[in-house]
Amino acid sequence: MGSVFVAQALNALFGIAALAIVALGLAVTLGLLGVLNLAHGEVVMIGAYCAYVVQAQGLPYVAAIPLAIAVCAVLGWTVERWLVRPLYQRPFDTLIVTWGLSLLLRKCAEAMFGLGYKSLNEPVSGTLEVLGATYPRYRLLLVLVAVVVLTALVFWYRTSRTGTRIQAMVGNPELASAMGIPVSRYASATFVAGTCLAGLAGVLIAPLVPVQPFMGLDHILMSFFVLVVGGLGSVAGLVTGSTVIGGANSVVSALSDSTGGYFCVLALAILFLWLKPRGLHAR
Amino acid sequence: MRVSRGAVRAALAIVALAALPFAIGDFWAYQLGLFYLYAIAALGVGVCWGRTGFLPLGQGLFFGLAAYGSGLALIAFDGSPWLLVLVPLAAIVPGLLAFALGLLVFRRRGESGPYFSMITLALSLLAYQLANNWESVTGGFNGLKGIPGLPGLDSYTAAYDVAATALAGSALMVAWLYRAPLGVLWSALALNERRVVLFGFDTNRLKAVAFGVSGLLAGIGGALYAPQQGLVTPQLCGFALSADLVIWAAVGGRARLLGPALGAIAIGVLASELRDRFPYWEIALAIVFILVVLFFPEGLAGMFTPIARRFRRPVPSPAPIAAPARPEVAQPSRLEIDGVDVKVGEVTILDRLTLALDRSAIHCVIGPNGAGKTSTFNVLTGELPVQAGAVRFDGYALERLPAHRIARLGIGRKFQIPSVFPQLAIADHLAIALWSARARPLELLKPSLRRWSTPLLDALRERYPFLRHDARPAAALSHGERQILELAMALLGEPRLLLLDEPCAGLSPQETAAVIDVIRWASARRRATIVVIEHDMALVRHLAEHVFVLHNGRLLAEGSVAAIQADPAVQAIYVGAEK
Repeated sequence: MGSVFVAQALNALFGIAALAIVALGLAVTLGLLGVLNLAHGEVVMIGAYCAYVVQAQGLPYVAAIPLAIAVCAVLGWTVERWLVRPLYQRPFDTLIVTWGLSLLLRKCAEAMFGLGYKSLNEPVSGTLEVLGATYPRYRLLLVLVAVVVLTALVFWYRTSRTGTRIQAMVGNPELASAMGIPVSRYASATFVAGTCLAGLAGVLIAPLVPVQPFMGLDHILMSFFVLVVGGLGSVAGLVTGSTVIGGANSVVSALSDSTGGYFCVLALAILFLWLKPRGLHAR
Repeated sequence: MRVSRGAVRAALAIVALAALPFAIGDFWAYQLGLFYLYAIAALGVGVCWGRTGFLPLGQGLFFGLAAYGSGLALIAFDGSPWLLVLVPLAAIVPGLLAFALGLLVFRRRGESGPYFSMITLALSLLAYQLANNWESVTGGFNGLKGIPGLPGLDSYTAAYDVAATALAGSALMVAWLYRAPLGVLWSALALNERRVVLFGFDTNRLKAVAFGVSGLLAGIGGALYAPQQGLVTPQLCGFALSADLVIWAAVGGRARLLGPALGAIAIGVLASELRDRFPYWEIALAIVFILVVLFFPEGLAGMFTPIARRFRRPVPSPAPIAAPARPEVAQPSRLEIDGVDVKVGEVTILDRLTLALDRSAIHCVIGPNGAGKTSTFNVLTGELPVQAGAVRFDGYALERLPAHRIARLGIGRKFQIPSVFPQLAIADHLAIALWSARARPLELLKPSLRRWSTPLLDALRERYPFLRHDARPAAALSHGERQILELAMALLGEPRLLLLDEPCAGLSPQETAAVIDVIRWASARRRATIVVIEHDMALVRHLAEHVFVLHNGRLLAEGSVAAIQADPAVQAIYVGAEK
């Protein structure tokens, strides 16, 4: 009985960690820059295809991480420079342009890899015994990586010089610029960081989901709802949001089916819009 | 008999549409018939995105819902007269659903941006899953097959004619709405929603109506799709069609009436020619979409504008109609602000502010920066929530009413920085102000309301001749003219209580004199209660019959100008003496 409970708890923990790591990139671009990058899900998809390419070439899985980060950094820089930067004053148009970008990336992936599902092998196989329950090692690793990445990011943001300057930029871009902080360079770097995190998330979840051109749609919606529920601009918000959305989704999906889970997430999002439009952890 | 040129043009267009299939043959007639149905749904995207300024990303939901509805009806009642009710119903139900969803999502003000778009996207994915999984009704992944055609309209040409008629009818309906006050208000709220609210319109409901109309249009397309194609699959509800509709609307020109339909038909024709020959067609289309959004927001329809303008002759403005008169102010309004606390975060803005006024006179509110003057106005218009205390206006508890209801009670406002609708014409501004207190909800569908006029409007036009340049957009006005325009709008609602926030800011001495003149004239004429925030003491001396001095969110003193100037406490805050 105890082992079943532990396994369920681990499942929930894994679900939350996977959702948090996928939403992290969007949290960075939306929370810090106020840019809702609707192509976020497609960047996750690109990360996952990077992992697929690496594995298909017979290279060690870890090689997917630098590959995905490089690809997503170039993509992020280009997108920020040519699509997002001209539109910082027109947030609604940013939404539309990044939505167009998401179509473009999806069609490109379709042209390169076809519509079919690709499935990847878990790079770390086997199970581990945790408090009497056996649990896949790779999932535990993912939880660990999510915790490490989140902690390191927060620590760096709070303590480093660059982190402080970014905080200044977020608080008041004009004043920060007047203080000699190169705001547009930092904004660009922040956006690139967001896309790189999305690519990394794609690499991490690739072995656990079917990799296909349309996979990004679910990720952008779930990530957005996580941020809606949790609130923008704090890791606490990201984690609570992931807990609420991931928890509701997995519980209701287990009780009925995936459509029910989806419906429940949507209902929660609308409910939060009424009752707590700034999320549980408003900045 | 005189026939209007619009009617001639419409008749020519209809004849051309009807003759087209004979020129292009059955195959293209069939293809075009399908594109017309998509075009109807694309018109709806134009209503939401081009007019009202919010982007629906899941219109496929309504198209698919209607297609399943009419498909099931046609299978179950093949040939029965019940279809005359059921097929239209299949189009109307998605419209009602969209309206209800709009009310749900727009309920909180300001939620028309990303939030709305994401929820519509999620809804369409949900509908796709449902259609896939609910096999007993929808036929699952393979869809509903063998749907019979509409009785008696089974041939290719007949199907084309049905689609063309539906498209023409839908376009006429949208044209009507754009000409009616409702369409003007949609454009206005896309430009400056807050201003529309403060004229007493429930913008959330207006947006929900726009979304409902778009749902109805998608529904008309979907309901006719089922008999035309004979097959309905889950893909219709899902992401792909929803995305295509947005692309068509953007490329065709979302802000124009026919732009979205033009986009749907043009891209449809191109796609059926190029999709197989050119493997990167969809990638190219996505790139075109991005370029259009960045550089050509007018789309294809925008390219025809210069040509159309050349052929347009000035239309003489139709005779004005007298707008219903507002009741005279029999008894001055009574306003009481009683112990109101307002905090934003840690900052106290109003600190147990208490003041009352019950004279139809010109009151001035003065006080140093940060005293809470504009915040007091924001409380009165229902835009700033109150933590404690009460605000009573003629017996109504204002702190509990939403902003548009407060405006309807007869509280008008002019902002410090002129708040107008840059792309709208002067005539539209004045008309919106006239409708604000007078038009009943259903009257917003009557285009004749655009011809409303009142004696006050005539008098204002007499004083300020630039207000007669009906077609001039507000963006082309000088700062001073915009101040006057907004003041005129505030006056035209003929409010019982008029709040003016630094009406002379940034005006030349001559313009200032003119504004003071108008305020006095309106006060004498309407016997309204007027409250003016003003910094310029010379102006206050000139204008005020009663002065309130605010300091640190509280009332420091009140009385006549002379009494205030003699008050040592007031002198202290202005000269900076010891507190």
